[in-house]
Amino acid sequence: MTARGLPLLVAVALLAGTLAPVRYAAPSENFVPVAGPHNGPGARSAPGRYWANQPRALPGRGPQRAFLARWGGRYQGQSPWLVWAADSGGPAAQAEEFLIAAHEVGRHGGRLVVTQRAEPRTLNPVTVADAPSRDVIRPTTADLVHINRETQLTEPALARSWTVSPDGRRMTLQLRRGIRFSDGHPFDADDVVFSFEVYQDPKIDSPQRELLGVAGRPMAVKKVDRYTVQFDLAEPRAVGERLFDTVAMLPKHRLEQVYREGRLPEAWRLGTAPSDMAGLGPFRFQQHLPGQRVALERNPYYWKVDRAGGRLPYLDGVTFVTVTNEDAQVLRFQAGEADVLARIGAENFAVLEREQTSRGYVLKDLGPGLEYSMLFFNLNALPGTQGAIAAKQNWFRVTAFRQAVSAAIDRDSIVRLVYRGRATPLAGHVTPGNRLWTNPQLRPPARSTARASELLRQAGFRMSDARRVVDAQGQPVEFSILVSASNPVLNQVATIIQSDLGQVGMRVRIVPFEFRAMLDRIFKTYEYEAALLPLGGGDGDPNSEMNVWLSSGPQHLWHLGQQQPATPWEAEIDRVMRAQVSMLDASARKRAYDRVQQIVAENLPFIFLVSPNVLVGARRDLGNFRPAVLEPQVLWNVDELFWRRPSSGPSP
Amino acid sequence: MSRPTRGGIAGMLLAGIYASAALAGFLAPYDPIEQNRGLAFAPPARLRLVDASGRLHLRPFVYALVPRPGTFDYDEDVSRPYPIRLFPEGAAHRIAGLIPSNHHLFGVDDPARLFLIGSDEYGRDLLSRLIHGARISPVAGLLAASLAVSVGLVLGGVAGFYGGVTDQVLMRCAELVMAVPWLYLLLAVRAALPLALEPRDAFLLVIAVIGTVGWARPARLVRSVVLSARTRDYVLAARSFGASDARVLRRHVLPEALGVAFTQLALLVPQCILAEVTLSFFGLGVGEPLPSWGNMLAGVQRFHVLASYWWMFLPGLALVPIFLIYYAVTDVLHRHLVLRAP
Amino acid sequence: MTRYLVTRALQSCLLLVAVSVLLFLFTELVPGDFLAELRLNPGISASALDTLRERFGLDDPVAVRYWRWIQSVARGEFGFSLLYERPVGPLLRERAANTLLLTVTATAVAWCLAVPIGAWSAGRRGHLTDRVTGVVLTALLALPDLLLALGLLLIAVRVGGLPTGGMTSPRYSTLGFAQRAEDVLIHLFLPASALCLTILPTLVRHVRATLIETLDAPFIQAARAIGVGGRRLVYRHALRAAANPLISLLGLSVASLLSASMTIEAVMSWPGLGPLLLTAIQARDVHLIVGVALASTCFLLVGNLLADGLLYLADPRVRTESP
Repeated sequence: MTARGLPLLVAVALLAGTLAPVRYAAPSENFVPVAGPHNGPGARSAPGRYWANQPRALPGRGPQRAFLARWGGRYQGQSPWLVWAADSGGPAAQAEEFLIAAHEVGRHGGRLVVTQRAEPRTLNPVTVADAPSRDVIRPTTADLVHINRETQLTEPALARSWTVSPDGRRMTLQLRRGIRFSDGHPFDADDVVFSFEVYQDPKIDSPQRELLGVAGRPMAVKKVDRYTVQFDLAEPRAVGERLFDTVAMLPKHRLEQVYREGRLPEAWRLGTAPSDMAGLGPFRFQQHLPGQRVALERNPYYWKVDRAGGRLPYLDGVTFVTVTNEDAQVLRFQAGEADVLARIGAENFAVLEREQTSRGYVLKDLGPGLEYSMLFFNLNALPGTQGAIAAKQNWFRVTAFRQAVSAAIDRDSIVRLVYRGRATPLAGHVTPGNRLWTNPQLRPPARSTARASELLRQAGFRMSDARRVVDAQGQPVEFSILVSASNPVLNQVATIIQSDLGQVGMRVRIVPFEFRAMLDRIFKTYEYEAALLPLGGGDGDPNSEMNVWLSSGPQHLWHLGQQQPATPWEAEIDRVMRAQVSMLDASARKRAYDRVQQIVAENLPFIFLVSPNVLVGARRDLGNFRPAVLEPQVLWNVDELFWRRPSSGPSP
Repeated sequence: MSRPTRGGIAGMLLAGIYASAALAGFLAPYDPIEQNRGLAFAPPARLRLVDASGRLHLRPFVYALVPRPGTFDYDEDVSRPYPIRLFPEGAAHRIAGLIPSNHHLFGVDDPARLFLIGSDEYGRDLLSRLIHGARISPVAGLLAASLAVSVGLVLGGVAGFYGGVTDQVLMRCAELVMAVPWLYLLLAVRAALPLALEPRDAFLLVIAVIGTVGWARPARLVRSVVLSARTRDYVLAARSFGASDARVLRRHVLPEALGVAFTQLALLVPQCILAEVTLSFFGLGVGEPLPSWGNMLAGVQRFHVLASYWWMFLPGLALVPIFLIYYAVTDVLHRHLVLRAP
Repeated sequence: MTRYLVTRALQSCLLLVAVSVLLFLFTELVPGDFLAELRLNPGISASALDTLRERFGLDDPVAVRYWRWIQSVARGEFGFSLLYERPVGPLLRERAANTLLLTVTATAVAWCLAVPIGAWSAGRRGHLTDRVTGVVLTALLALPDLLLALGLLLIAVRVGGLPTGGMTSPRYSTLGFAQRAEDVLIHLFLPASALCLTILPTLVRHVRATLIETLDAPFIQAARAIGVGGRRLVYRHALRAAANPLISLLGLSVASLLSASMTIEAVMSWPGLGPLLLTAIQARDVHLIVGVALASTCFLLVGNLLADGLLYLADPRVRTESP
């Protein structure tokens, strides 16, 4: 699918969402029944073993392409998801309503070794806040509605379908019937209601709480019947179903007691026995070796099957190994001791590329991701003690000054020298990697020292005899850029900016700082002049960026803690951002966000630099390896990954 | 008799290094912070005598480098040789910090560049950076190491000589210094300093930090020697003649410990230069774009440099002979001051 | 003697308290706290951060936090690590064992190599071989730990056969005892070599320098004159006479057992105290920092006590503080 074609299709889809209640998934009479030994209760690992030994035990079972889950027949072969269900099969009371994945059918067996830059800290999906733990938890849990990392659109997961009321305030979700947690216990609406009670509990204050609360008020969650749950929002919300992504459904039968006792934040640590935990993801917790690795094993009750009827996942397990140093991580991958590699720098990518064929791995450059780097000036209201910085703010507050700095920066050099060509110069905060929301009107500024000088002259700066820019009072322009000392790439970017700005007559000093000490200055003491930071992530939707762009937002980095918008353009951003949240018309919403991007690009509270490409790699014989720019870039379809080679998994 | 001569040579070499630091602007062919972005990661220049058409030149020359698009690989443009010239004009500098000049010892005509040991990721001349780095690192290293060792010598000497409570207090202090995780405390140190550090302040700071942290090891080693030295017969004799504590300590006891102290000094100088690598992680080193050996070394400790750009390690290699010279000098000083001491 | 040991033990306790107090005081001065990084995450609300701050007691006065830590020490937990969500004590025990496996091996090998190399080098002072040894060791000294570790890993990848970091292979838990030992030994090889190479130059330099000093001393010259020669001269007589600084150095080696290998552990993914301390510092996990610091302090104290004891034994003239 071409990148250009997609927004159109999305627009069509979103338009469809405005029509009164639309069913997003198949009506149940279209489901194809599946019977077979795999939905019997059996021993804990019995189904898995069955499929591992006889991966093709059910050849030609029924017309597999029963129904395209979401897109009707419009793009045959493009949408990977098919919905398929079962009526009563084995001795179990309720047959499993599987989700049928339309990917290449693989073979069972083998283990995947993944390296992580830091140790995971917890296995608790409610309190988790750090990336390594989230990476480990993600394959052990499942959400009701999922954002497909490849298409960046929502698709059915534990909910096989949902409806949205015309006013956009009520969502009704139909749960998949007969599916089970990894301990064999059935999953139903009670688990959903319990999960949302936990996530929205102010006493626990899960990191997800804020995201779930629309307009600051929690959703009302109601069980309609055993497999139907109804969510009432306080205010209409565009693409409300995106809220459900990565909100892991919790097993009520395991967690209710600890929750009532108020001990939920302490539950499910790395030291917890695997038998005390249960999830709905393709894998379940197996073992933890402190400081070294966490192992997950196959969940035999997982609710997806492939077109041939084989139960997913294919892999017997996933091992997350802690390798704290990026270079060591790259070396491990090169040596064949790790199977996939994500988040690597362009320099290391270049080195790996040379031995791609001889060492049996493939590397992929997915193009720009959602992350971007930017330079920003301290525009905070400063306490009186910081006169020196406050004096410099008289320059920083001038829009033309920021535009001049932006014009003086040679982004192409940054791309070429620092990122080896594997990055994209940026004009705004929505990178080209964000398929749905980029504003194509914005073009990255080409470097022009002439334009920079002209802008400075218009803003009342002039050139001194010593080729230095001085302000109207004759004060030479010089400032420092704070940058994280542990980020060599951004330090290189800073060195290039320093030289670029030196050429237009500004003296810049680079101040490498330990990362948290730097954040302390940015968020607490405001003792800095300018800073260089990478930002990004989220799911790409404007709603996930609210905290950055609202003038009162906790990540409104350049000017925090505003009671009232400090500038007219910040006021306009506030207005537009607040309005788009409840716009149910997708194209209107896109127009609104385009406007925000334009305001930002003109006023440059952030001076956008580049968006690094997402660079990943995997062993050549890893099947269904389809990395995406959204997190988790290589493991988003871990349930579909399989080893092509007959021997199971990587050689020891 | 050959030994003093060797020491003399080492001493002269050492003096030469410090002198060349003063002349860095002249000796270095380029401005150390000038970026040639078209020539990033250029390999060391190939000096030639025979040109592409087989003609012999009397003056060594180089060809200009042309980057292959999209890579950091370079081809030589053989259409025109650029002979190496003495005293060409280039970036302005001051000889010994005083005399303004824009002549350099050697170089080639523009647009070619003479990167004798290659260029770094911004196309800056590594040789020029190495030479300019000599203005900072060897001085800082020597001063910091001397500070640490002299404090260690005095405190260790006093502790060993007096023993008892003095010894216990001093040694517990040494243990405290060694026990504290300095990486953590450096965060507090950096926070207390102004936002942007002038290079000179950073320089003094590096010396102060290393001096404060580094005295404990030499102190313990010196103490161990002094402990037995103070019971030597001649020391006891000197004391029985009524020599003062200070005199006995200075004349008879500390010289015994000088051997250990010099060994420590010779070992600490390289460690101090390398310490800047760690300090730069806390924003305490001499920052970009100014070159110092510490930040040059910090920049190359990466896998891709190790795998692709071997010449980036040449400046690091240059440290080896310099450290050897330090050893030779401390050896000689040791020999003169200790072995000929009474 | 007993009185000396008791005094020494009391002093050590005092020192441990001093270190912990000092570190807690420094938490006031070090910018950033455990939750600082979450502020950058748009997915986490301000109220969630406040809840966490309160749960972790980050805003309490330093005295309150210290008192809480002391209580935890009294319970035998040695604090609670926010980062790992568990008591510090068991965490340290796991990691310290791994670090000791690495450092004890490397230090022992380094000493076993350093004494002969130093002695041999001192014996042929000024010869070509001595100079070459000097150059090689100096080159090692000029090599930062990080670079050395990376270089060794790179060689391991190129040559193959050796694992590139870590302590055990993924199939470790399926192995029998002998295979497990073998697995760990194979993984130990590279980090231990790296560590050994970083310790070696300093040791050799000291052994050589002290020996040169004693070989010139009159009693050795006399021994040489009466025909005691070669190896016997060096090892029996000179080395014993040169023992003091070497004993102190040995003490320092023992003292740094827990802290010497930080960089190498971090690069080679050795699950020891080094990476733990580094992440704890980065994350401002105060109890963990204090825990690691106190553990290293204990080794320091033991090492120095050992050195003082040996000094006393080696040279009875040394009457340290003991009666």
